[in-house]
Amino acid sequence: MPQLHVDNVTLSFGGLNALSTVSLTVPEGEVVSIIGPNGAGKTSLLNCISGFYHPTRGRITFGEHDLSKAAPNVVTRYGIARAFQNLELFRGMTVVENLLLARHTHLNYNLLDSILYYGKASRVEAENRHYVEQIIDFMELEEYRHHHVGTLAYGVQKRVEVARALTLQPKLLLLDEPMAGMNVEEKEDMVRFILDIQRERGVTVVLIEHDLGVVMDISDRVYVLDFGQLIAGGTPEDVSADPRVIEAYTGVAEHEPLPQASPSPAQAVAR
Amino acid sequence: MPASRFTQTGNYRVRYQQDQTIFATYAEQLSLVVLLLALLLLPLLISKTLLRDVNMIMIYAVAVIGLNVTTGYTGLINIGQAAFMAVGAYATALAATKLNLPFFLAIPLGGLAGAVVGTFVGLPSLRLKYLYLAVATLAFQIIFEWTVGHSPLLAQGGAIILPPVEVFGIKATFLNHNKVWYYIILPVLVVMGLLWRNILRSKHGRSFIAVRDNDRAAAAMGINPGVTKLTAFLVGSFFAGIAGGLFAYFQKAVVIEDYGLHTSVQLLAMAIVGGLGSVPGSFLGPLFIVALDRGMGGLSNFMSERQIFPPGVDAATALRPLAFGLSIMLFLIYEPRGLANWWRLSRMYFKKWPYKF
Ligand SMILES: Nc1ncnc2c1ncn2[C@@H]1O[C@H](COP(=O)(O)OP(=O)(O)OP(=O)(O)O)[C@@H](O)[C@H]1O
Ligand SMILES: [Mg+2]
Repeated sequence: MPQLHVDNVTLSFGGLNALSTVSLTVPEGEVVSIIGPNGAGKTSLLNCISGFYHPTRGRITFGEHDLSKAAPNVVTRYGIARAFQNLELFRGMTVVENLLLARHTHLNYNLLDSILYYGKASRVEAENRHYVEQIIDFMELEEYRHHHVGTLAYGVQKRVEVARALTLQPKLLLLDEPMAGMNVEEKEDMVRFILDIQRERGVTVVLIEHDLGVVMDISDRVYVLDFGQLIAGGTPEDVSADPRVIEAYTGVAEHEPLPQASPSPAQAVAR
Repeated sequence: MPASRFTQTGNYRVRYQQDQTIFATYAEQLSLVVLLLALLLLPLLISKTLLRDVNMIMIYAVAVIGLNVTTGYTGLINIGQAAFMAVGAYATALAATKLNLPFFLAIPLGGLAGAVVGTFVGLPSLRLKYLYLAVATLAFQIIFEWTVGHSPLLAQGGAIILPPVEVFGIKATFLNHNKVWYYIILPVLVVMGLLWRNILRSKHGRSFIAVRDNDRAAAAMGINPGVTKLTAFLVGSFFAGIAGGLFAYFQKAVVIEDYGLHTSVQLLAMAIVGGLGSVPGSFLGPLFIVALDRGMGGLSNFMSERQIFPPGVDAATALRPLAFGLSIMLFLIYEPRGLANWWRLSRMYFKKWPYKF
């Protein structure tokens, strides 16, 4: 069973520790959220997992694969996909073209097949397109199919970013603030997509999100980062009652508890 | 099936494989056939000197497609394309003279030699980017010229004469050289162009563009940026090698001066003027630059006839680089997408004709 283990990871930039001795586990099939104030090191942690940064100390493993020194394209081949916080789409390409690119590692033909583009390459590309269209259906992007990504609204681009990560057919999906800058309606849609991705497709999800209502609603497990340190971890109930978490979030100890699963977009969907 | 396959009135494609086609409507297919017919008859209609220029343009087009692979589509600045051409030219010349291979084997061998050397020279692209890579390819250009100049096997850069060829029983002679080679170069160009279009719609073509546009995101898609860059060098210098092989035969001899730094710069200029990262641009760029060159020659003749300059002064030597540099600058400033953009706009106009929008 591929489980993600982050084991005592420290990441230093010069003197600054973006992460200090962080350890956490992401069990298969769960939605695990990472929360924390701005600059807490959440994105840095995802960067370490997905191979863009390598931990200064410590180890990250996914199943039997060691990710600590792996390059991003290798991590992707292990079955880990990522949607970036700051959109990293191919802006000059259409939605379909962006998603076709994400099938790269699943396409089994070589340069000679490409050159001839007859038989194998043509057939594989048609299947490829078929798969991409399924994802477009799933993420409800039909009307934008042939739009250039750069021309789409921010919320739609965020959805394309998630769709593209999903097209990689990952076992583990890393989502870095997929709902940032979205209106309530768009957020509700995104929550529904995330839950469908987990339940219907059996994909493990790591979610970074600032909207605590959403986080507490849909997560099986929540980890809290503050100044690069893991200050709490556990079920949403445990975490939202934890005094250190309340302090990190409000700046004051002994304050009101954080919002529990209260009126939030996720509720309508989760029922 | 489409309601009308004569012109495009909408998108009637019902299978994904149809979406992959290059020439979809009858109108597109017909215009292609007409174009090919016109091209087949061309040598009978134009003068010998003009035909020579057309041949040059077509050979340059092969090299410029290759340069577009590395620089236009993959974003790797390459100032050594002429040296890759030279690798192909010398390999072809050696294959033809030392191994006595016929031209239809010698030229592909030149392409392979170009591909091998190009991939090797592309190795720095694994570490270097932008201008640093440009310097690495420039270094190869200079090292290669120097090495040829010191190799007895390669006549120290002097002429290696290629044997005249024979196609379907027709021997190329002094009189029909340009015609014979026209009918060899044209199909080679068409085939090479189609090969590139094929690569472009495959996963390899997509990965080139992805690495150029955003190499972080490309890596997140599982694309290995290093392998992709080397593949681009492999393909791009294969095209250069083929162009070099053709050029060697067409010039009847290989001389290192034909493949100097100025040729590399000229090829870059063709790619820029045509439009970086565009297939039609790879044809329009060479056409423009060669036409400009001839135009300046004509202008200089005209001026010396009118005695604007004192007799004996060849104004063309000054006008050529001037016009050349000026056109690159003007294109970079006013039309960075090159002639291909004009081509695209006029095609859109005719697609909708007679309607305005
Ligand atoms: N490449 C880098 N070089 C230097 N410092 C960095 C680098 N990347 C991140 N940092 C620092 O690491 C710390 C954590 O940044 P990170 O982006 O991981 O925060 P975050 O939790 O994702 O914040 P946000 O909620 O704003 O996205 C910050 O202080 C940031 O300045
Ligand atoms: Mg962040």
